[in-house]
Amino acid sequence: MPDASVGAIAFITLVTIMVGARGIRVARTPDDFMVAARQVQPALNAAAISGEYLSAASFLGIAGLVVAQGVGALWYSVGYTAGYLVLLLLVAAPLRRFGAYTIPDFAAGRLGSRGLRQTATALVLVIGWFYLLPQMKGAGITLQWITGTPYWVGVATLGVVVSCNIAMGGMKGITFVQCFQYWTKLCAIGIPALVLLIATGHHPARNLAPDHAPVFASATTVSLPQATDFTLTRPAQVTVAGQLDGHQYRNQRARLCACRHEAAAGTRIGFSAGAPVPVSLAMAPSSAQSWDSPFLTAGTNGAHPLAATYGVIIATFFGAIGLPHILVRFYTNPDGEAARRTTLIVVLLLSTFYLFPAVLAVLARLHAPQLYLSSDSDNVVLALPSLLLPGLPGELLAALVAAGAFAAFLSTSSGLLVSVAGALSHDLMHRGVTSFRWCAIAAGAVATAAALLIGRFSVALLVGWAFAIAASSFCPLMVLGIWWRRLTRFGAAAGIVVGGISCLAAILATMLGAADSGWSAVLLGQPAIWTVPLAFTVMVVVSLLTQRAVPANAGQVMLRMHLPEALSRQA
Amino acid sequence: MPADGSDPPAKEPVRQLVVWRPDDVLVQHDVPGLGDLRDDTKHGRLLGKSYLRAQLGLSLMCLTIALAVTASFPVIAAVAPAVTRVTVGGLPLTLIVLGFAFYPVLLLIGWFYNRQARQLEARFTELVDPPRRPPDA
Repeated sequence: MPDASVGAIAFITLVTIMVGARGIRVARTPDDFMVAARQVQPALNAAAISGEYLSAASFLGIAGLVVAQGVGALWYSVGYTAGYLVLLLLVAAPLRRFGAYTIPDFAAGRLGSRGLRQTATALVLVIGWFYLLPQMKGAGITLQWITGTPYWVGVATLGVVVSCNIAMGGMKGITFVQCFQYWTKLCAIGIPALVLLIATGHHPARNLAPDHAPVFASATTVSLPQATDFTLTRPAQVTVAGQLDGHQYRNQRARLCACRHEAAAGTRIGFSAGAPVPVSLAMAPSSAQSWDSPFLTAGTNGAHPLAATYGVIIATFFGAIGLPHILVRFYTNPDGEAARRTTLIVVLLLSTFYLFPAVLAVLARLHAPQLYLSSDSDNVVLALPSLLLPGLPGELLAALVAAGAFAAFLSTSSGLLVSVAGALSHDLMHRGVTSFRWCAIAAGAVATAAALLIGRFSVALLVGWAFAIAASSFCPLMVLGIWWRRLTRFGAAAGIVVGGISCLAAILATMLGAADSGWSAVLLGQPAIWTVPLAFTVMVVVSLLTQRAVPANAGQVMLRMHLPEALSRQA
Repeated sequence: MPADGSDPPAKEPVRQLVVWRPDDVLVQHDVPGLGDLRDDTKHGRLLGKSYLRAQLGLSLMCLTIALAVTASFPVIAAVAPAVTRVTVGGLPLTLIVLGFAFYPVLLLIGWFYNRQARQLEARFTELVDPPRRPPDA
């Protein structure tokens, strides 16, 4: 298995570099680097946006969380798609008609303030880096899973490849790369999902029935690579090799009680068909919720599931508007109408993609329940093909999945790095191609270093948090900036700072383990539920208090954003 | 532009309200409704405001529908937990709803919005920049 997968990853990386290298010849001016000179047609642009958007969270994280925590984790995929519908309804066409490169450009152009531009730039860096971390983590665990290299090798590989590629080619290259990456990712998750679905055939859907503790469909040997604590729902007769509950076994039979057990690293436990699947304590679905519960409690330890679910819904539905690497793509549409068409195609492409993580998660639940025992839910998609389909077909599918996963890390982190490096060079340093190149390399190095510290968080959770920060800061800025004439630079700055900082602080508190039960766990773990309304409120109230600062040309700027191009050229 | 378009009577007052000003000679193809918008006259501001309001209304209507369909599900599940016990063909209803059923709805809303927004813009263009207009004001 490693050879085929390593080959596939090397292939996808090489192709990415080669397709990106086309950009070296094409990209000549900073404008080419930043927005591909605004000549990208809707279908190509939509595939590029989707390619950029579908990250490690979509490819590995969602299926893993569904297996570990239940169907409620599918709110992430619904939210990531619905985010584009919200973007289409509120932002897409006006943003393109406004015509600026980045969110800081929008803020400065709409509200006429240099200080606001710098505030917005700082936040682009926060969101961009926060979003880069899970991509790096994904690369780290994927290489670790396939080749056994240490975590940092994968992280560093991705960091070097992406930084160099962007420093050389810029975004013109990346548009082709991203488009190619979308189709790679769709194939890499769709083909395995369909093949495994057909190969495993129709089984009684026992493990899917509500409130039914999962059982092994066939005799299964579970290998535990790391020390693992687990519980059993019923007593079971097993064969153990290794150390379990303090005893050393050599392929001996043992009867395990329905209680908590501790297995040392390297232990193998053989279960017979019909035996209950052990539940890992590290991944236990929280607070007695059944697997098919529509609630999502990742990051909040099961407290107040309804509020936690709405936290995720608000963050993902409204977060897409505020993602800096996504918005920059809207400037590459020829006009506002094309921006709308592009966005609708994006919703279609995302909907298609997100059918498959759900299928893979159901297959894992049905046929490979031992995956619950893996200590890191992000491995599920990588592990599934070779578990369900032994032999060469399984190996090939695993290689395909590995390639797709790497495509996901490469494309999302490329897009993010373009935004971060663009913000650094465009807004904080002197502009120019050389400056952009050095910023790309520096930003990549920072993200790589930080990614080494966040190994224990699910990538879906980490990406969800990046969305929460975006929804609590840039989303109010974009929505009010586009639809509310009376927004002032003071209101915008206050809203961005209060919303962004309170959200970031809540997330950092959760990462440091500040609160792990009750309302504090919910409000800190899924902060969007209060930080988004807070940011909107602060922005509106402060704007109303500083009405003298409404730009004199606000009315005309608003009109230009909303009128069709044919009219605003004359008006 | 279709040359045979006939003006609805409602547009006439709009076009009469424009005041000729000397700097207008700089613009060769001056059009009454558009001139109002550009010069930010009282009438132009009203026109612009009503156009923005129509656009916003359309967006908010579509957003409300989208949220009512999708975001209402957790509340329904919390109020009536029986819903989450339903299985369809061996699959839990929750899985079908969250995994598959929402996507066509989101697409349909997006398609409807795009069509309506395009029509709104076309109607407004026809209002302020009518196809048939006098060669000089």
